[in-house]
Amino acid sequence: MRSRTTRGVRAAGLALVLVCSGTACSVIPTGASRAVAVEDVGRGDPLDPPYARVIAMPPNPEWTPEQVVMGFRAAMASVDDTSYAVARQYLTGAYAKEWNPGSGVTVYQQSTTDDEVEPVDEGDTEVRVTLKGAVIATINDRGLYRPSGGPLDEPFTLVKEGDKGWRISAGPDGLLLSEPDVKRAYRLVDLYFLDSRREGLVIEQVQVPLNPASTFAKAIVERLLEGPSASLQGAVHTAFAPGTGLIDVTTENNRVIVNLRKGVSSDNVAAMSAQLAGTLSGIAGGSSFEVRIQGEPYHSDRPLEIDAQQQLKFDPWMTPGNIRPFYMQDGLLRQLGKDNVGVAVPGEAGGKNGSFTHPAISGHDLRQVAALSRNRDGISVAPLVPDGKWQQWVTGKDLTPPSWDRYHSMWTVSRPSPQTSVVLRHYYDEIKHEVRQFRVAASELNAVDVTALKIARDGVHVAVATRNARGEEEVKIGTVIGTGGGSRIDNLQTVVHSEDKRQIKDIAWKNGKTLYVLTGKSELLEASLTAAPTSQVAYPRLQSITVLDDYLLAGAKDDEDNQQVLYWNATAAKWEPWIRDESGAVTFTAGGPSFPVFPLG
Amino acid sequence: MPPAKNRRRTPRQVVRGVRRRTRRAAGRLRRAFWRSLQLRVVTSTMVVSMAVVAVLGVFLDQQINTSVLNARLRAATSEAQADRIAVLGFLSQPDGEAAKQSGDSGKSLQNGGDSPLSQATTALANRAGSASRYSVIICNRRLPGACFGTTNVDERSVTEKMRADVVKQDAGKNSLWYGDLYYKDSSEPVPGLVLGARLDTTGAPQVDSDYEIYHLIPLDKEEKTLNAVRQMLVVVGVALVLLLAAIASLVTRQVVTPVRLTRQAAERLAAGRLDERLKVRGEDDLARLAASFNEMAANLALKIHQLEELSQVQRQFVSDVSHELRTPLTTVRMAADLLYDAREDFDPMAARSAELMQNQLERFESMLADLLEISRYDAGAATLDIDSIDIRDVVLRAVADSEALAERHSTRFDLRLPGEPCMAEIDSRRVERILRNLLFNAIEHGEGRDIVVSVGADRDAVAVAVRDHGVGLKPGEENMVFDRFWRADPSRARTIGGTGLGLAISREDAMLHGGWLQAWGMPGEGSQFRLSLPRVAGTELRGSPLPLVPPEVEMRRTWRGQMTPVLTPAAADGGHDAE
Repeated sequence: MRSRTTRGVRAAGLALVLVCSGTACSVIPTGASRAVAVEDVGRGDPLDPPYARVIAMPPNPEWTPEQVVMGFRAAMASVDDTSYAVARQYLTGAYAKEWNPGSGVTVYQQSTTDDEVEPVDEGDTEVRVTLKGAVIATINDRGLYRPSGGPLDEPFTLVKEGDKGWRISAGPDGLLLSEPDVKRAYRLVDLYFLDSRREGLVIEQVQVPLNPASTFAKAIVERLLEGPSASLQGAVHTAFAPGTGLIDVTTENNRVIVNLRKGVSSDNVAAMSAQLAGTLSGIAGGSSFEVRIQGEPYHSDRPLEIDAQQQLKFDPWMTPGNIRPFYMQDGLLRQLGKDNVGVAVPGEAGGKNGSFTHPAISGHDLRQVAALSRNRDGISVAPLVPDGKWQQWVTGKDLTPPSWDRYHSMWTVSRPSPQTSVVLRHYYDEIKHEVRQFRVAASELNAVDVTALKIARDGVHVAVATRNARGEEEVKIGTVIGTGGGSRIDNLQTVVHSEDKRQIKDIAWKNGKTLYVLTGKSELLEASLTAAPTSQVAYPRLQSITVLDDYLLAGAKDDEDNQQVLYWNATAAKWEPWIRDESGAVTFTAGGPSFPVFPLG
Repeated sequence: MPPAKNRRRTPRQVVRGVRRRTRRAAGRLRRAFWRSLQLRVVTSTMVVSMAVVAVLGVFLDQQINTSVLNARLRAATSEAQADRIAVLGFLSQPDGEAAKQSGDSGKSLQNGGDSPLSQATTALANRAGSASRYSVIICNRRLPGACFGTTNVDERSVTEKMRADVVKQDAGKNSLWYGDLYYKDSSEPVPGLVLGARLDTTGAPQVDSDYEIYHLIPLDKEEKTLNAVRQMLVVVGVALVLLLAAIASLVTRQVVTPVRLTRQAAERLAAGRLDERLKVRGEDDLARLAASFNEMAANLALKIHQLEELSQVQRQFVSDVSHELRTPLTTVRMAADLLYDAREDFDPMAARSAELMQNQLERFESMLADLLEISRYDAGAATLDIDSIDIRDVVLRAVADSEALAERHSTRFDLRLPGEPCMAEIDSRRVERILRNLLFNAIEHGEGRDIVVSVGADRDAVAVAVRDHGVGLKPGEENMVFDRFWRADPSRARTIGGTGLGLAISREDAMLHGGWLQAWGMPGEGSQFRLSLPRVAGTELRGSPLPLVPPEVEMRRTWRGQMTPVLTPAAADGGHDAE
């Protein structure tokens, strides 16, 4: 009896020892193949990307006047000192009261020559230091970054205040920041707003200052809630009602949570989702979103979850996808088909040799082509259906090439006399089967020659190329406000300034933000409201351009005036002839492919 | 008025009350502790295991703390070292020539770029990632615009004391502090580690040597982990202690429960329940204890039963003998009466014999009567004939009966009776017999001195005390006097001719009334017998109106107790003299 019990106890002990040695004795589990999501602490919060910032330091009594000015400039660049308390320590008491850092930012580039410093003698109590350089941009109080030009010549007057050393007693108002300072202290952000019909998204690019006391994502959404800045006022809408406050933007299980103080009306939920998804897409890194109201789920019964790319679903023109370009060949409109071989479009546009140039393709389901007659006195439109016939919509003098907007209206500019331009907008009345023409108010364009006008795919931005009486050609970007007879073009900003006898040959919208400009010397410029134009790789004798996102095409001629459409191969960074003929050859031919064009833009 | 006074207690009274209650509770606890073996074992197990767990817990906690913090410190040190090399690389770039001298962001912009220090900070920011890993502050206070930071760390996290330490320390040597880190987005500080060093510019003499680099590593996650570990240790420790206590309680219960049952059984056995037995379960020591106990109880019960039977037989024998003796005794008595009546016709010798016989016969008769009486008590056949009577009358009757005997012993009675009647529901015959017995006893042992008979009464009881001043009783004899046929000095003859059963019967009589008959005596002080009876028959007696110890003796004893040792002999003498 006893021996059996003892044996049992021994067996149990052995089993315990085996179990222990099999599991608990290995500190790090080795056998587990379970995949576990581990938070990557090192990469940090995507909503708050890492950054470096200037820490403002008070002035040192031993510094020279020049060093004091340097220190002051560094203190102005310190983003975390929102009241500029440290920067004011560089100023004399009287000037510190007077100085207003909130009156805007001047962004400069310092000139190569040294600052102009008057020689300082032992007994001097007042000295002037002049900061020289070039102004490259301004940032207004709403964060609108506008490139500008002109020299910078800002004198600082310094006085010696006993043991405290030199102090600035007079200087320029507002903040003076160098370009790297701006890069450090601000981030360029796309804010998404709604077009007039609340169907499309319009992007506004603003500079949002980094605020160490808050996350960057929170700053962006707060800025979005403030609404569009003055340049888009009236042209765009927002889904957020005035006074919609933001509590916080956080991440939870790889999802970005936007916590609002109050919601939007039910018909605005989709628009709000698209606005938030678009605005945060730049930093969210593909995470999905959720909107909460005061920490509670948006709908009482379920949360409001937003896909990472919701803005693309809301507005199909954000990524139009695989749209094949159109082009003219032998006076006929063709569409690029398989293997880059063109196919004639159905209807008269593809079948009857009209004398049209500069085609423009509409964006709605019933595709229409509008084309300018060769002598620029009329614009005809033909639907791209088998029995589509050319129908003349506009007659006028010296018309600009037509441009469709996303609301199925066709724009052109008539120039009845030199230095007079009339912007026209045409709708087709489906019921009465007639074209209705409206004159668009554009006071800034009335007294110049408008050589080109293109409506962006967002339906709000408009680009115009103008030539003034002196023959200076410029490109401006503005906004369209209103519809029908109430339409007007406003807020025009020059994005490509006139330069000695530079001609503007063609303009084309890449997307709602960026415009390509083709000059008479076949220069290709990329312009936008927020940056100075940059030159792209050019090709001699480019005639026209069209672009849809990264798909850039240009019509070109060779020295014998043979024509071909070129494709910009971004990976190889070169232009490639693009369209094959029936034999599969890619060559420049007389009457060959020209005027490539994508719908809208 | 007085109740209000009672209700409003002074603070001192309250304190005293609390103290009293505490003391009482502590006393109860102490009693419980010393009475319960289980409680003692559980308590000591808990105390010992608590000590062990506390020591182990503190040791574990420190080990874990050290290893977690050391790992973080090692990682931070190597990162700081790498960062310093990177910063030096940026600062000694050939195109940053001017900036090295001035540290100014503006100067280097001549080349269209950012200042090397700013580039370095940006590189460190990207390398460090978010503020939850670490933040860097690079500062050169001698140069304008040469102070940069990463993330939203607040520069006041680096205190002046840290700066002073870093400036004193050799370049490239880390100084280390644990302290609070502040961030711009919250006012609450975060515990953290600060590593600070001056940039070692020995390899690049063109770089200014006053660059201080601080790495600020937040330790809030580590703190959270360590707090969780500590909480876990505490919880596990408490659970372990409770578990051990429970185990100890369980184990002791297995031992203590049989012991307790045995104790209870023994108590019941002692209380007379001889059929009490324990359940015997198993074969262990406790089961054997129960078996032995049962055996002992059985043997005891058998013995007691035998003794009871023997006693019964003896009593029956005495009763039967008494009854049987009566018939011949009656005949003998009649014959003796005849002889006694005719004694004057006998010669003096025969006459004297007749007288002697008559006396002894009377004594024999009374002894037989007493024997019968006591056997009636033994059989439980005694009954009371209750009547409401003034106890003083009973006393006077008993004294009158004893007068003749007292005169023979030249003893006087000193009666101390209350003025008003002392009515009580008693059987006067039996009470008179008790008093007579007490008086005879006092006369017999009073050695001719006065006998004090006192009567006392209160609301519930009456009492009679008979005090003599004879030889008294030795300690322990107070109870023996009521035993049957007991005598103080066996060598002394019975002078009055008592049967030796008087006091035994008297005590039975008193008990039949629900009263007490008690004796007090002291050698040389005489003795006192006190009879206390309830006024209403059948009620329980709670106290006696008269003291058992005579007041003068009690007073003398108290007075002696208060004397100082030096004075004691004199006092004793004085006491003696007074006697």
